[in-house]
Amino acid sequence: MSEAPITQSAWPGAGPTEVTARVVPVRRKAGIGWLERRYLPMIVRGLVTTGAHFFRNLIGFATGRRRAFVVQYPEERVQYPDAFRGMPVLVEDAHGRPRCVACGLCEFACPSHCIDIVAGERDDDPVQRAPTAFDIDMSRCMFCGLCEEACPEEAIVMSEAVEIASFGRSDMRFDMERLLVPEATLARRLSFLRADYDRADASPRATGGPR
Amino acid sequence: MAEGARARPRSDLHAEHQVLNMGPSHPATHGTVKFLIELDGETIVDLEPQVGYLHRGFEKECESGSWYQAIPYTDRLNYNSAILCNTGYVMAVEKLLGIETPERCQWLRVLASELSRLGDHLTRCGAACLELQAMTPFLYGIEARELCWDLQEMLCGARVTSNYVRIGGVKHDLPEAFPAAYEEISAKIRTLLRDFERVVTRNRIFVDRLRDTGVISREDCLRYAVTGPVLRAVGVPLDLRKDEPYLVYDQVDFDVPVGEVGDNYDRYLVCVAEMHQSLRIADQCMARLGRLGPAPVDVDDPAVRWPAKGRVFTRMEEMIQQFKSVTDGPQVPAGEGYFAIESANGELGFYLVSDGGARPVKVRCRPPSFVHMAPLPLMVRGAMLADLIPTFDFLNMIGGECDR
Amino acid sequence: MTAGQGPGERTTASAERPGDHGVPVLGQLLVAHPRAVLETHARLGDATAVVALDQLLPVMRWLRDDPAAAFDMLMDATAVDWLPREPRFEVVYHLYSLARGHRLRVRAAVPEHPGQVPSLCDLWASANWMEREIFDLYGLDFEGHPDLRRILLYDDFEGHPLRKDYAKTRRQPLVGPRN
Repeated sequence: MSEAPITQSAWPGAGPTEVTARVVPVRRKAGIGWLERRYLPMIVRGLVTTGAHFFRNLIGFATGRRRAFVVQYPEERVQYPDAFRGMPVLVEDAHGRPRCVACGLCEFACPSHCIDIVAGERDDDPVQRAPTAFDIDMSRCMFCGLCEEACPEEAIVMSEAVEIASFGRSDMRFDMERLLVPEATLARRLSFLRADYDRADASPRATGGPR
Repeated sequence: MAEGARARPRSDLHAEHQVLNMGPSHPATHGTVKFLIELDGETIVDLEPQVGYLHRGFEKECESGSWYQAIPYTDRLNYNSAILCNTGYVMAVEKLLGIETPERCQWLRVLASELSRLGDHLTRCGAACLELQAMTPFLYGIEARELCWDLQEMLCGARVTSNYVRIGGVKHDLPEAFPAAYEEISAKIRTLLRDFERVVTRNRIFVDRLRDTGVISREDCLRYAVTGPVLRAVGVPLDLRKDEPYLVYDQVDFDVPVGEVGDNYDRYLVCVAEMHQSLRIADQCMARLGRLGPAPVDVDDPAVRWPAKGRVFTRMEEMIQQFKSVTDGPQVPAGEGYFAIESANGELGFYLVSDGGARPVKVRCRPPSFVHMAPLPLMVRGAMLADLIPTFDFLNMIGGECDR
Repeated sequence: MTAGQGPGERTTASAERPGDHGVPVLGQLLVAHPRAVLETHARLGDATAVVALDQLLPVMRWLRDDPAAAFDMLMDATAVDWLPREPRFEVVYHLYSLARGHRLRVRAAVPEHPGQVPSLCDLWASANWMEREIFDLYGLDFEGHPDLRRILLYDDFEGHPLRKDYAKTRRQPLVGPRN
């Protein structure tokens, strides 16, 4: 069956696709000759490769331009990319209040059901809803980011925080006080998200109302 | 376990067989698996793999959530190549929904899948070296995998549990810095791969450990439904990317490497060759994505893909749709569908049954790791105990996928 | 719920009559086993045959051995729980032919009592572990299986978790050390 064209429809409606599979046998015997069967020359050859790595790393270390693929955590830290998803946090607006309106969408979206919200009204403005309690059980959270995608208020976002280990399970239950993070410190994540909103907005999607 | 590929060894000494428990916490059983081994001296007389230590009720959990909520769980099936599992599940749902994703989305999925496959093969070959006491190539392999995961992190936001593919699209498009990073990192991966091969591929100790160990015949492969690199090492060029092309694999130029004998050395060579092919496919994806330019990556259907956030904030219709989409998710028409992709380990199939509601009736994952563990006794019966380690490594059993 | 979904829906008006639906192997199967095949469809490009449970073994043997079918690989075997419908369970097999490059899904309805399914271990070795998994998670009994034990769960596990009447939050009793 290797050389014959295989016609089969994999996608409904796509019709049969003709693909000629090009099969390449691996070269099993190649290069294992007399020399390779003697141990010593091959040890030398291996040492050339590993030695090259060693000396490149050593020179890099001496000249201060380290090549080794090691980060001396926690003294050094890597720079996370923009898309990085760390611990979910709540965005605190300029007035020190959560942006959250306690709609409960993140609670619905969460596959591991680790979010608990108690909705209430705001003291200064009873028309506005706000969470009176917002708990995330970080021992169950799997950092999937579906809460962030579900949120219609840009109120819960994935931060860069990942160091959340603790000695007790009860410490892993983050309440609103620990979750609230000022908007200014989340600027990088928010701008990443907003760039994506704009792109999606420019696409021909999002036309027409709900069905 | 009566069938034996090879004749049972006959001992000259009158000695009783010894039963050895290997695992569930053994360094060479990555993931958790236990082998109950019957030994005659150092020769394996019989072996029984005991799986299930990582059973988390994946299928039960999927049945209790919406179609959307299963996607992060698929990350945790094969945690070496999460995006492949994402893609398999999502494409099975899309098959039921009868939708086709935009071209750019398909190229992005292929790119992410191949990076994922590369990382999986690097882990497999690197870990195998480590367990054969070759520490240096392991570090080269893992360094290459880290670089590969850097790319995945840049693309998806997480190194391992990517959660990238969405029903009807992908989470987001390529970041702006990605093409430049890809150029740099793929060159580094190629260099590391070259060094990796230089150190082990023709190393006599390595070759002697792998050659003619863990042999499985073509017939046994078929009887046990073995797929993927293990089957290709036997010489059967079954690769779903070629045989039942999905996504845009029919527009990509790549070869299917096959072995001859079906031993561990063939499996190693096939995996290394596939890594080069994956890099080749990823190069083509990057070139094509550059040519395609900005284009939508999601289907134009707010009932399937959650609406664009920019509109959710400003328009009432999209806001309502967002609430409907999150609480209900896509309503999948009643029916059943099986969709299989070529994962790093073999055929990863998803059989989904819907009754037309917001929750699946049945989510069945056909895990290659689980299927490949069944013929393991055949491969090692009559071999030395030490041969079990490379055989098990090159089967690449992933606990999360095997036990679900 | 559209017809042709669950087991035992043959009598409803919209159930699909057996036909080849443009898939040659379904046509040949209907010729070879006209009474065994209750229903066929090829929706979404997946050729499917629903067979009577007591005819499952001969049909599968034919599918494996007939040169026109030549299904040499049993890719997947699983079950579906259709509570509260009767018959409650359904076993689903996915076959692949390496020689011919085609696929077929075979389903058979299984009543809850006695819940016995003929084992396919003699036909394909891969059925062994898959049937053990179905036994483990659904509690279906496979007649003729050489080694029917739990595979993913431990021996003292109570119940079968993928049954729909097994609550997700149900807890299991603590199991102590064996000796």
